[in-house]
Amino acid sequence: MPEPSQTRPALPPLRDRFQRPSWLSSALFAFFLGFFLWSLAGAGMSLQSLLHGLPNMGTIVGEMFPPATDRAQPILKAILVTFQMALVGTVIGVMLSVPMALLAARNTSPHPLVRYVTRSIISFVRTVPDLAWALFFVVSVGLGPFAGTLTIIVDTIGFCGRFFAEAFEEVDPGPSEALDSIGSNPLDRIAVVQIPGALASMINTSLFSLEKAVRSSVVLGLVGAGGIGAELAVSMEMFRYDQAAFIILAIFILVYIVEGFSSRMRDRLLHQNR
Amino acid sequence: MNHVAQSILANGQASAAILSDSLQVEGLSKHFQGTDTAVFRDVSFNINKGQAVALIGANGAGKSTLLRCCVRLVEPDTGKINLSGEDLSGKSGRALKKARRRVGFIFQKHCLVPRLSALTNVLHGNLAHRSGPRNWAQSFARQEDRQRAMHCLEQVGLVDLAYQRCDQLSGGQSQRVAIARALMQEPSILFADEPTASLDPQSGEVVMELFARLSQSRDLTLFFVSHHVEHALHFADRILGLRSSELQLDSASHSESIQSLREFYA
Repeated sequence: MPEPSQTRPALPPLRDRFQRPSWLSSALFAFFLGFFLWSLAGAGMSLQSLLHGLPNMGTIVGEMFPPATDRAQPILKAILVTFQMALVGTVIGVMLSVPMALLAARNTSPHPLVRYVTRSIISFVRTVPDLAWALFFVVSVGLGPFAGTLTIIVDTIGFCGRFFAEAFEEVDPGPSEALDSIGSNPLDRIAVVQIPGALASMINTSLFSLEKAVRSSVVLGLVGAGGIGAELAVSMEMFRYDQAAFIILAIFILVYIVEGFSSRMRDRLLHQNR
Repeated sequence: MNHVAQSILANGQASAAILSDSLQVEGLSKHFQGTDTAVFRDVSFNINKGQAVALIGANGAGKSTLLRCCVRLVEPDTGKINLSGEDLSGKSGRALKKARRRVGFIFQKHCLVPRLSALTNVLHGNLAHRSGPRNWAQSFARQEDRQRAMHCLEQVGLVDLAYQRCDQLSGGQSQRVAIARALMQEPSILFADEPTASLDPQSGEVVMELFARLSQSRDLTLFFVSHHVEHALHFADRILGLRSSELQLDSASHSESIQSLREFYA
């Protein structure tokens, strides 16, 4: 029997495990490192302040327990309003995102110009922070949950519009081509190929958007856009840390329930026969 | 003459039906985008009503492109396509869609919507004739359409899997659902682009037998692309061959042998 070395052709030599970085990579890394160190100062990072603040943190946490339930009724009502804002804002936002995404996706948009304009609108909506939208709507329609709901609608369009469009673009083009070959119209193909094909991803995105909206609607109250955020701000400003603890606990339970519900819904919807 | 044409004659149908042109292609050429290299050039052939015609050729010979050009899913550069006396070349928009309704198309990868049931996918064949939510899902469909879709599934032997999601079916079963969808459309001509390429030999045989049986019983014209020269010889009346961008073979299947066709791939 011949030796393996006699029968097998010689392998090319192995490359080094690590390659020497180019001067450009080294320069970029050095620049990044310098900028990061400068940013530490810009971000006000201070170990001294942190150590100085630790006793205060301990005091506040100590005062948070036991959480106060004396204002439980208005707080729970505000929690309910927060959830209602998130739910209504997300559902309307998702509904508006579907046509926007269809116009923005490469394979469903009627014209490249329409696609470009719609993508630009979605990008603009997404890049403006939700607090800025909240301030805009508070000034426009007044204090209260309506301003918060409008903010969540806009925020959801920015989020879902982009991800729905990407989901549409990722749908296998085969079934659409098959129905195109028999003379079906584009609306039918969107209804029977694009939407079912992207549905799993759309459900995921929508449920994630609901979770995001619940968390976001807590913060929106801080600028007067309704919900539990206003209650939290007032409690902290009045040094009622025990009340604040109750509010934080209520927010945690709400977010936990919404995440649990969305996770179960996701599993059920994704495995349903149609 | 193979069993398809024999069956038509045996059934007492007029031979004039066989002679009337179902698909007429004249001087069809297609070049790769932005180049002078031809995918195929000056291709002409006729397919008569009720005929089964196989198109063979090596990988990259342009078979699938030629098939797609015949219904203008891919635009040919030059040439004329006549489908049952109707010139497709000048048509666009609604007129082209209307003409395509008569052509069923089976793809290599069956092209079903994976999340939906076999029954719903079959029902989509109806979209060739009727648009709207009634044909989007079996839940919204008219009772008579649901029954017709079930009948189509029965013809391909899958009535027991009507409510099964298509992503839970095997490759052979999926291809049979795709055939049922084409039957739902009630086409007069059926194109099949390598319908057995992704199937094991046994499933491929089942699918081709099904094609032959259905084309017999429904008087369908069949134009299929295949790499299996045995399928071409056994299931087709005529064999067309593409090589070096030209149609170099157009002959009756009984005058060819496996050996002569294999040489075509050399």
